[in-house]
Amino acid sequence: MKDNVLAGKVEIPRTIDGGEGRLVTLFGGLGANRERRVHYVFDVGEPDYREIVLPVNGSIDSIAFQLPAAAWYERELHDQYGVEIVGSPDVRPLIFHDHWPDKIFPMIDPVENVPWSNREYRFLEVRGEGIAEVAVGPVHAGIIEPGHFRFSVVGDTVLNLELRHFYTHKGTEKLFESNLLGAGAMIAESISGDNCFAHAVCYSQAVENACGMIVPPRAAALRLIGLELERLVCHVSDVGGLCTDVGFGVVAAQLTRIKESLLQVSAKCCETRYWRGISVPGGMRLDIDSGKVLQFSQGVAAAYRDFANLAQVILNTPSIQNRFEMAGILRLEAARNLAVVGPVARASGINLDVRRDHPYGLYRQHQFEIPVTHYGDVMARCRIRINEAAISARLIQEAANSLPDGGVFISPQAQRDIRGHSAVESPRGELYYWLEAHQGRLTRCHIKSPSFQNWPAMPFAVTENIIADFPLINKSFNLSYSGCDR
Amino acid sequence: MIFDVVGQTLRQPDRIIPVEALLGNCAGSRMPDIVPTRLTPEIAQRLVEVCPTKAFGSMELDGRSCLSLSYGECIGCGRCMEWGEGAVVAAKEFRWCGVAKKETTRFWNIKDRAEIVVRAPEPEEIHEKIYSLLQRALNIRQLDAGSCNGCEAEITALTNPYYDLERFGMHFVASPKHADMLLVTGPVTRNMAEAVKATYAAVPAPKLVVAVGACGCSGGIFRGSHAVVGAIDAVLPVDGYIPGCPPTPAMLVTGILKVLQRRVGTSTR
Repeated sequence: MKDNVLAGKVEIPRTIDGGEGRLVTLFGGLGANRERRVHYVFDVGEPDYREIVLPVNGSIDSIAFQLPAAAWYERELHDQYGVEIVGSPDVRPLIFHDHWPDKIFPMIDPVENVPWSNREYRFLEVRGEGIAEVAVGPVHAGIIEPGHFRFSVVGDTVLNLELRHFYTHKGTEKLFESNLLGAGAMIAESISGDNCFAHAVCYSQAVENACGMIVPPRAAALRLIGLELERLVCHVSDVGGLCTDVGFGVVAAQLTRIKESLLQVSAKCCETRYWRGISVPGGMRLDIDSGKVLQFSQGVAAAYRDFANLAQVILNTPSIQNRFEMAGILRLEAARNLAVVGPVARASGINLDVRRDHPYGLYRQHQFEIPVTHYGDVMARCRIRINEAAISARLIQEAANSLPDGGVFISPQAQRDIRGHSAVESPRGELYYWLEAHQGRLTRCHIKSPSFQNWPAMPFAVTENIIADFPLINKSFNLSYSGCDR
Repeated sequence: MIFDVVGQTLRQPDRIIPVEALLGNCAGSRMPDIVPTRLTPEIAQRLVEVCPTKAFGSMELDGRSCLSLSYGECIGCGRCMEWGEGAVVAAKEFRWCGVAKKETTRFWNIKDRAEIVVRAPEPEEIHEKIYSLLQRALNIRQLDAGSCNGCEAEITALTNPYYDLERFGMHFVASPKHADMLLVTGPVTRNMAEAVKATYAAVPAPKLVVAVGACGCSGGIFRGSHAVVGAIDAVLPVDGYIPGCPPTPAMLVTGILKVLQRRVGTSTR
């Protein structure tokens, strides 16, 4: 990765086949003399990502009109680093709410005893005859994370949906700073509770890339097993959630049983239900003996067979088809403009998967197909998850049956100054870590979470649907609030 | 079609875990326990150093040098077990769920290699006693004050066929106005502080509050962040604490029942 520091407005790189590069992330950082810089990361169709660094002379030019996917990133950049964004379509605060003082930017200012302020936030107002506003959240009617949804409706039909998130913003990127490289993994796995292993692996790989090291093959294989198990658990849980939301209770209860059985085989195999505290820079903290892995893979195979049977029932049930089909369509154009990732992108016709496009670890050695469909509705997202679950179950068996011998950890040797990045296909899509460390301590860690990327696309799928379908559409996206808010 | 589902359901064995097997069970949480006979001053010192959330502390208690372990701060990372040379093991039984804050900390006299029992939580009651406490149904409202969603995932699991919270007459309600108990997760973020207070205000008396998870009990890994106000008790009065990162469903059941035993069991309302 070269450090191309440019001046002025960033030029969006072209992909190898001549298209516009896909924005992966955009974030602030500090140079050697604490001067502010903006990092742009693009996917141009090459195995590695393209990074462009822009110095900040007071302000930068917005690229959000050209690449709408940049809009939230630019707002976050302003809130964290106080960088003025010239020509931005939206200059409202993003990550801090009304209580935060206007002129305190946590990544450059001291943040002890920040006073409580009271500023105003304006929602987009939709005016006209018969238009009503429905405000939902942040506290929702269920066991769900907090977030605010502001609907403008005519009758039952949604004209506009505006999101206000970041209720669970915990200042995580700042929290990484000055932590030891080894300790960072613990923060990473507390970012999104049900994707904790993907976060831990992605963070670990970023450190390993920065140190120029490769983990032992056994650690890589165990990581693949953990990552695919996490995907399987998430997809089983999501399909169950969709059934709950349309009142298909019997099947939903069966799916919670299957999910629980997967968590229990994990607990038997590695003492933790969610694979927490296992992946660290350099490999795995825990070697799992081959006998346990075999037992584990048998448990997974049994759970998957149950799931596959139920999935057929779901897809063939007319009342389910009636609710899922044509609901919450996310069109390809909106999905492209907002650079959507993960199952949501693949359900709207974007053929994208980090495991294949930017392969890491043992994925370099495995062949697998990527399910893609272009309908973009709830059914499409449901089908994508069902098909991906099959691939995950197969990959777990393959990796478990050919588990290499040997150690699972090599201590990373950090030079004085290191910098690295890594991406992982988490269950929700492309997860990307960028980090910099000085003498073994982190100086900056940026997390691009798939949920931060995908949330702005959700309103486009919801408009023109009836408000009663919102929970279903929201569930079919299944985005993390904490992962987005960080 | 639907008959296939019914058929499949009927073929399934009963999965429910009996309450006796849930109470005190902490498998899968990696909560640590100390083997006092193996404790040395060197190991104690190392535990204090390696613990990332400062759950271990060393102190003088009545002139004796002691090791303390605060479960509310433990994120179950297992580093103490890695460095403890056998003096720290994964807890087999865990009784520190749903107890008062000061009861979530344990002390060991390093020289005598013995636990200093300040006031141990009572052993779990047999299930007849627990059912008798639950003559009324308990309505629980889960409130996320800023968690990572890990605790929510485990709380959701309480409704699956293995744990089936409804068998105790407990269920999750949609509105705080219908709730007897708030089950609160996460560190309270600055952005959520106002909504947390408003939710609590909407709950009718007796307003039981249970802080869930390392973040809920102590702020956990997010303690000290500029975007976080603190643990749940920085904002609300808390009746019981359930440690763990995240606490397993069994620990949640143990904790919720324990809070009831402590509050409802002794109340005269």
